[in-house]
Amino acid sequence: MSVRGTRIPPHLQLPIAGVTPPPTEKEGQRLFPTGNFRFYRPVYRDKTPPCNNACPTGEQIQKYLDYVKHDRYLDGYLTIMQDNPMPSVTGRVCYHPCETACNRAEHDEPIGIRSVERFLGDYGLALADDPVKPTLPELNGTTVAIVGSGPAGLACAYHLRRRGYGSVIFEALDKPGGMLRAGIPAWHLPEAVLDAEIAKLLAFGGIEIRCGVRAGSDISWDELRAYPATFLALGQDVGRRLPVAGIESRGVTGALEFLREVGLGRPVKVGRQVLVIGGGNTASDAARSAIRLGRGEATIVSLESEDELLIVAEDLAQARDEGVAFSPTTSLVRVLASDGQVTGAVLCDARLAKAADGSVRPELAEGTEREVACDTILIAIGQIQQLEWLPDHLSDRGVITADQHGRVEGNVFVGGDVMRGPSMVVDALGDGKRAARDIDRVLTATELGPEPAVEVMPYAGLNAAYFRHAPRIEAPLTPPADRRRSQAVEVTLAYSREEAAAEADRCMSCGVCNGCDNCYIVCPDVSVMRDTRENGHYTIRTTYCKGCLVCVQECPTGCLEKVPEMDFDDPADVTRMETAFAPYDGAHAEQSAFTRQLIEETIAEYDAARTAPAGNGKTATTAIPNGTPG
Amino acid sequence: MYHELTVWSRGIIMDKEARDVSSCIAAAARALGYHADNVSDYVDDPDRTNCLVRRYARFGDSPIVDRFVYENPHPDWVVLVEETIIKAVNFLRGAPDRGGVVVVNSVRDPHYLLKFLPDSMQAKIGKFVVVDAVGLAEQRGKSPWMFVRNLSELALDRMSTEGAEERLAIGMGIAAPLIGALTAATGVLPLEAVADQVADRDAMFRGAAQHTVIDMTAEAGAATTGGAAPAPVPAPANGNEQMPAAHAAPAG
Repeated sequence: MSVRGTRIPPHLQLPIAGVTPPPTEKEGQRLFPTGNFRFYRPVYRDKTPPCNNACPTGEQIQKYLDYVKHDRYLDGYLTIMQDNPMPSVTGRVCYHPCETACNRAEHDEPIGIRSVERFLGDYGLALADDPVKPTLPELNGTTVAIVGSGPAGLACAYHLRRRGYGSVIFEALDKPGGMLRAGIPAWHLPEAVLDAEIAKLLAFGGIEIRCGVRAGSDISWDELRAYPATFLALGQDVGRRLPVAGIESRGVTGALEFLREVGLGRPVKVGRQVLVIGGGNTASDAARSAIRLGRGEATIVSLESEDELLIVAEDLAQARDEGVAFSPTTSLVRVLASDGQVTGAVLCDARLAKAADGSVRPELAEGTEREVACDTILIAIGQIQQLEWLPDHLSDRGVITADQHGRVEGNVFVGGDVMRGPSMVVDALGDGKRAARDIDRVLTATELGPEPAVEVMPYAGLNAAYFRHAPRIEAPLTPPADRRRSQAVEVTLAYSREEAAAEADRCMSCGVCNGCDNCYIVCPDVSVMRDTRENGHYTIRTTYCKGCLVCVQECPTGCLEKVPEMDFDDPADVTRMETAFAPYDGAHAEQSAFTRQLIEETIAEYDAARTAPAGNGKTATTAIPNGTPG
Repeated sequence: MYHELTVWSRGIIMDKEARDVSSCIAAAARALGYHADNVSDYVDDPDRTNCLVRRYARFGDSPIVDRFVYENPHPDWVVLVEETIIKAVNFLRGAPDRGGVVVVNSVRDPHYLLKFLPDSMQAKIGKFVVVDAVGLAEQRGKSPWMFVRNLSELALDRMSTEGAEERLAIGMGIAAPLIGALTAATGVLPLEAVADQVADRDAMFRGAAQHTVIDMTAEAGAATTGGAAPAPVPAPANGNEQMPAAHAAPAG
C-alpha cells in the first residue's frame, strides 16, 4: 500500500496546518492580516447629546447618568460639579431644558434628569468631606468683584475659584442667594438646602459675600470698575407697576416683593381671597404661596388664555391640584378700596393681540366689566432692575447691554436676568460659568472666542431597536392637602437610590460611546479590540477590518461612524498585502515554481524508491507488480 | 510583442466590470490576429462578496505557451476597478520597471492616490491613469456598492461570475470608460478595433477622451488631462524585449 501523499510537505506545515492560531487571537491576526480591505472604515466619534447641548451650563448629563447607572455616585457628583456648583438647587428648581430636548421623548418619555441631578446633589451635600475642595488650585491673588449673589454671581465665583481667582460678592439683601432665596418659595427650594449649597461654596475659601451692599448706593460704578474684573449679576428684582386706578391701596403688592418678604422670613399679611395678576411662573409661585400662608383662595388673572399661560406644565398641574383658580383672558380694570384697603377688583374680558412685529398688547372687551371681591392683589406682570447708577449708554429699559460675549466694557461682564430679562436659574448659572471663563481670558490676555460648534445627536441617528420601552419614573409628590398646610413642606420629593439608578439606566447615551460591547460582540472578524483603547473603550484593528460595517449598523448610540477609507490620507497608515490571498507573504508568485519543484522532488523520491530497493545492491529494472514496494 | 493585463476588482459586486475589461481586450486582440487568452480568477474565491479578485488577459504575436498558469506573473497593464484597491495590495508585483500602465477608477486627484504607493511600487509605473468611470458610464441602478448595476442584474450576473456564459451585454457600465482609458493610454490596440467588442461604445470613447495621465518616466511627473489618444504606432517604452515572457521558466 502506498504511503504517498500522507506526508505533509514542508510548505503546508506550520503555521498553516495543525496548531495555527486562529484570528481570534492576536498572533493569528498577525499571521493572517487582510490589510486595507474596506470602502469604509468604522470610526468612533462621540457627538454631543441633546441634553448636554440644551443645558446652559453644559452639564455632561450622559456621563453622570452613566456613573449613576453603575452606582458610581461620587464620580457622578464630581462630573456635575465641573459645570454646575449647585446640583441640589437646580435638581429642585430647574425648568430642565435637558428633559425637553431629551431624545428619549421620541422613544417613550424623557429621562427624569432633574431628579437624578437632585439625587447626586444631595449625595454630595451629605458627604462628610467635600470631594471638590482638594481638586481646587491655589489662589493666585487676583480678586474679582461680583455684584449679586444669585445663581449667576455664585456660579461665576465658583468657576473663578476653580481657575484660582478669589472673588468678593456684593449682595443688596441681608442674606445671600438672590432670587434663589427671595424669588423661589421654600416649598420649591428649602432654605436649608440653599444655605448648605452656599456654605459649600464659601468653604472653598477665596469667596467672600458682603451682604447689605447695594450697587449704586453703597458701592459706586467707579469703585466696581476699579477691580481687575467685574461681573454684574444683579438680577431683576423690581416688579413692573400696573397703571390702574386704586393700585396704591393697602393690600396691593408686587408678587416679587411678596415672595421676597416671605423668602427672607419677614412677616407678611395675606388675605383669604387673593387675586394674582399675571400669567407667568412668578404668578404661579405667588398664588401657591398665598394659599399656603393665607389658608384661603387664590385666583390667577391672566390676559393669556389657558393654552398660552407661560407657567411650566408641571407647576401648572401642581397649582391646579393645590386649588389655585384661574381666570384666563381677563384683565384688571381697577381696584376697589374702602378706607384705603382693598375690598375687590373690577375685571373684564381681554385678550392678547399679537402685532405683526411680534409684540403683544392687551385688547379689552367693552361692556364685560364685573366686580369680584378680594382682600389681597399680587401683581406679577414682569420685572426690571433699577440701573440709574450706571452710565446711560450701558443700560436699556431695565437690562444691561453687552456684546455677544456678555462683555459690558473693558473687564466688566454681565450675566443672568439683568442681561437677558427674566429667565431660568440654569441660564444664570451658565452665564456665570461663561463669565468666569471669559474673565480668565481677559485677565490672561487671551482672545474672547465664540463657542465651539458642536454636532448634536438626533434621535434618528440612534439604533432605537436596542432600547426597550420603559416608563419614566416620576418624582414622588407630597399630597396636595399636605402641601397647602405650610410653606415648609417640599412639594417634589427625591428619588430613592434604586429609582435614581433605574432612571439613569434609561439613558440612551445619544452619540456617546458607553462601552456597551455591542461592536465587540457583533464584529464577525474580531477586529474590535478592547485591550488597546482609543476612545476609552475600543479600537478598530484596521489591518484586519474588512469594512463590513456591522458594528456601525449595530451601534446603539450612534457614536460609530463610517468614513470613506480613501479619506484617511496618511500613507504610513496603509497595510498593504503582497498578494490578494496568500498563506504567507510571497507564497503566491512562487507557487507554480515551488509546487513544481515539490512535485518533481516527490516523483524523484518515489522513482528512487521503486528503482533502488534497499539491501541487495542490484538495480531493479522491472516494475513491481501491484505497486507493492519491495 | 506581448502584454499581460490584470484587472483588480471586488468579488460579486464588481466582478462583471473586471471581467468585461479583460474579455474585451482579449477579444479585440484576437480579432486583430494576435494570440490571446482571457483567464478567470482561480485562486481568490471570486464568489466572496467584496473580496479582492482578479481577471487576466494576455496577448502577443507568438503563441502563448504556458496556458495553464492561471495568474499573470508579469502584468504590465493593471486596471483597478475601484479606488481603495490602491491601498489594499501590491498590484504591481512582477511588473517591469517603469513599464506598467495603471488605470484607476476614481474622482480623486492622481497625486493624492499616488502618495499611498511606496517607492518600490511607483518605480514600476510608467503611466498612471485616473478616469472617473462612474461619472462617464451610463447610470444603471443606484447602489453605490455595485456602482452602476441594479440588484436583479447582479443576481443574473452571479451565474457568470461562477463560470456560466455571459448573460448581460459585454462591455457595459463602468467597464466601458475603463476600457477606453486603458486603450488610449497604452496605445497598443486601435480604439476602433476595441470599440467593436464593447457594448457601450459611447461610454468607451468618453473614457478614451476624458482621463488624466501622469507620465512617471518624466521627472516632473506632469499630468496631462483629457488628451486625445496618442498615435498607436510608437509603442510605449515598456521594454518588450527585456520583459521575460510568461512562458519562460521562472527562476528558482
